[in-house]
Amino acid sequence: MRFIFNRVQLLALTLLGLAISGAQAEIRQTSVWWLPRNVTMFGHEIDFIFYVILILTGVTAVAVFSTMIYFIVKYRARPGVSAIHSHGNNTLEVIWTGIPVFIFLALAIYGNEQWTQMRLKTPPADALPVAVIGEQFGWNVRYPGADGKLAKMTASKVTKENPFGVDPADPAGLDDFTTYGELVFPVERPIRLYLGSKDVIHAFYVPEFRLYQDMVPGRIYDFVWLKAEQTGKFQLACNQLCGQGHYKMFGKLSVVPQGEYEAWAKGKAPQPTAAKETPTVPVVMAGR
Amino acid sequence: MSTATLHSATHIHGHEEASGWKKYLWSLDHKVIGLQYLFTSLAFLFIGGGMALLLRWQLAYPSTQVMANGDVGNPISLPFINPQFYNALFTMHATVMVFLVVMPLLIGAFGNYLIPLKIGAGDMAFPLINELSYWVYVLSGVVMLAGFFVAGGAAAGGWTSYAPLSSVAAYNGTKLGQTLWAAGIFINGLASIMGAFNYITTIVNMRAPGMGFFRLPLTVWALFITAFLLLLAVPVLSAAGAMLILDLNFGTSFFNPAKGGQPLLWQHLFWFFGHPEVYILILPAMGMASDVLSIFSRKPVFGYKAMVFAMFAIGFLGFIVWGHHMFVSGMNLVLSAAFGVSTMVIAVPSAIKTFNWLGTIWGGSIRFTTAMLNALAFVAMFVIGGFSGIFMASTPVNIFVHHTYFIVAHFHYVLFGGSIFAIFASIYTWYPKMFGRMLDETLGKIHFVLTFVFFNLCFFPMHNVGLGGMMRRIADPTAYEHLRALQPINQFITLAAIALGFSQFVFLWNFFRSLKHGAPAGNNPWGATTLEWTVASPPVHGNFAVTPTVYRGAYDYSVPGHPRDFIMQNEPPTSEPLHSGAPARRSVPTG
Repeated sequence: MRFIFNRVQLLALTLLGLAISGAQAEIRQTSVWWLPRNVTMFGHEIDFIFYVILILTGVTAVAVFSTMIYFIVKYRARPGVSAIHSHGNNTLEVIWTGIPVFIFLALAIYGNEQWTQMRLKTPPADALPVAVIGEQFGWNVRYPGADGKLAKMTASKVTKENPFGVDPADPAGLDDFTTYGELVFPVERPIRLYLGSKDVIHAFYVPEFRLYQDMVPGRIYDFVWLKAEQTGKFQLACNQLCGQGHYKMFGKLSVVPQGEYEAWAKGKAPQPTAAKETPTVPVVMAGR
Repeated sequence: MSTATLHSATHIHGHEEASGWKKYLWSLDHKVIGLQYLFTSLAFLFIGGGMALLLRWQLAYPSTQVMANGDVGNPISLPFINPQFYNALFTMHATVMVFLVVMPLLIGAFGNYLIPLKIGAGDMAFPLINELSYWVYVLSGVVMLAGFFVAGGAAAGGWTSYAPLSSVAAYNGTKLGQTLWAAGIFINGLASIMGAFNYITTIVNMRAPGMGFFRLPLTVWALFITAFLLLLAVPVLSAAGAMLILDLNFGTSFFNPAKGGQPLLWQHLFWFFGHPEVYILILPAMGMASDVLSIFSRKPVFGYKAMVFAMFAIGFLGFIVWGHHMFVSGMNLVLSAAFGVSTMVIAVPSAIKTFNWLGTIWGGSIRFTTAMLNALAFVAMFVIGGFSGIFMASTPVNIFVHHTYFIVAHFHYVLFGGSIFAIFASIYTWYPKMFGRMLDETLGKIHFVLTFVFFNLCFFPMHNVGLGGMMRRIADPTAYEHLRALQPINQFITLAAIALGFSQFVFLWNFFRSLKHGAPAGNNPWGATTLEWTVASPPVHGNFAVTPTVYRGAYDYSVPGHPRDFIMQNEPPTSEPLHSGAPARRSVPTG
């Protein structure tokens, strides 16, 4: 028939396909655009599941595509050969329904187990609490002082002047110190994040930490915790569209040895006389 | 048209054919309305595609880039793409592609054109509402695009328009544009709802005698299930759009926490629509691709009932997976776990469909027409898009890949690789029916190969840059130290995107050239079995001279012992085999 591909065309298509996959392999070898190094404890689990899914889908993809190509070549229209008349096969339907059900449920159950570990378990008691409150287009960061405690933060009290929603008289907050767009984490120590926002939704995203979390105004999330296992300098990026300046809403994030962290914290600590927080009028929330 | 008409023998429904140019503006004929949808949404496809190329240019050569020597700007950047305009571009690119291109192409164009013809009806149940739905759709497009010409520019909060960025003018700076966006969504929803109940009524009530539900072609099944999804999901988005307009302009505070609202409410409303929407955008493509694969493999669809039940499963499960868009939004963490399970489960019916497509080409006598190549590409690209979806369905991996270019790659594999390839397959298949002429196969194959190659060169590397840590929706990746190493691949993607875009002019040329110069198609150029191929190309007003009677399922290909490798659906079981001519005009008394 006039619209059948001839052999030369088929060969050309096949070669093209090989060239594309070859190019991909080449790209991977330079490892510029593969997963960045992972520096957190939970990152190992995330990478593990990632590679499990990659292998599963990779093997299935090879199987599906080779079957497809085999069928395409074997069952191309040829004179005198007609198609098999078949409406299907129920045994096959059961098999290829059952196997994916099993695989997907296994993935879901294992994924949920890890999700529970990461998000539903209470962070360790010795975790260093750090508050990060996003705003268009920057990061308000609050660290505890010598007492290791942050002031109590209330999402409904967050205002322009009081980004952390704290009570200025709260004794736990008197020695807290703040930075703008600068985070320093001690290595090998659990960090408990308190995430919120002053205006629109922002997101706390650091690829090397395998961590993304939305920061929603009106709420302060306290369930994200992490432990960095390697030191280094990273870039904190806002990864939830937050307006015109979204594309350059980044912060500095470094992971340093404990001693170095302590020295940095000491340098940032407030002078005993200066009260950092400006007093705020309590906001009455409509409908609450 | 309201007068009691004395129309000729084709008078089987209550309106007559409009004449001349009026036909293309006010016709109530489902076929003309289908073509109106086809031409309008193809025009929007080029508008949306143009926006995509501007986006890609900015990502490769950012106008906001600060050079190593401190100079601002990039010598070949486009200075008019500032960050705000960039945000507006990707917002409107997605809005146009979803609401003005893929939905109207699949549902408006092919739904309208094919449903009555395939079920043996003279028209839709409500022709006037059908035409109204088209013009409402056009109006929604005009309202959405009008955003570019108002103060502050078009909406720039992403097509998902997360509140409170979208709902508070002080945060977005595009009060008018955002309002127009929400109004456009609302109006577009009206068109969808009108179309949906029209399709459901038509398919339930107007099937030809003998056309039982399990004799319907999968295209019709897919559109039927899609219509229910539309009817249940779209009103929720319309409501959300109305609330957004109220928040922006009339002092309410549904979504603004500073005044007691809830930002996550918007996300729940949006994704309660948004996830069924994903299937609204792929189910009709699945149905039509199934039919194309069957026609050109000369084989019945493998596991017809499994295909139908898989679509039911997708339709049902599609309503209980929306939370997977919100794993990292901070919504209830146990709820995330539950959505994680339902999301993994919804992958199963898609897997079933894929295996049945492979089953369909197994043992076939495959004709490599342009339509078939596009349908095969649909299967392959849908598989890749499905696989990348599994990564994001896994809650822990989602914590890492959420909102990176990995997901941009994923949904383009499903929406372009899936839906658009299926749309091309359908255009190549049904163009002869629509216009009475064949599309040029050589140009068609050139178009297919270019599109297939550049599509993959453009979108596959996006997986890599996403894993490398590149966020979506940033106007300038070079602003980030950790992304600068990715810039060569961003430039590569841009070049592939430009080539992909310009390849579509081959299609355009073929499309318009063949209107005049294509080979005459005849009634049934592909040797297909369904009822639309029993009538003239293009079919006359009213479709069937006599209502056909259906004696068999839609896929009697290569039946052993039959002299031809296809049996039309209206061919009686006991009849002598027909050797030539068109079985179309066989008049079967219907009592």
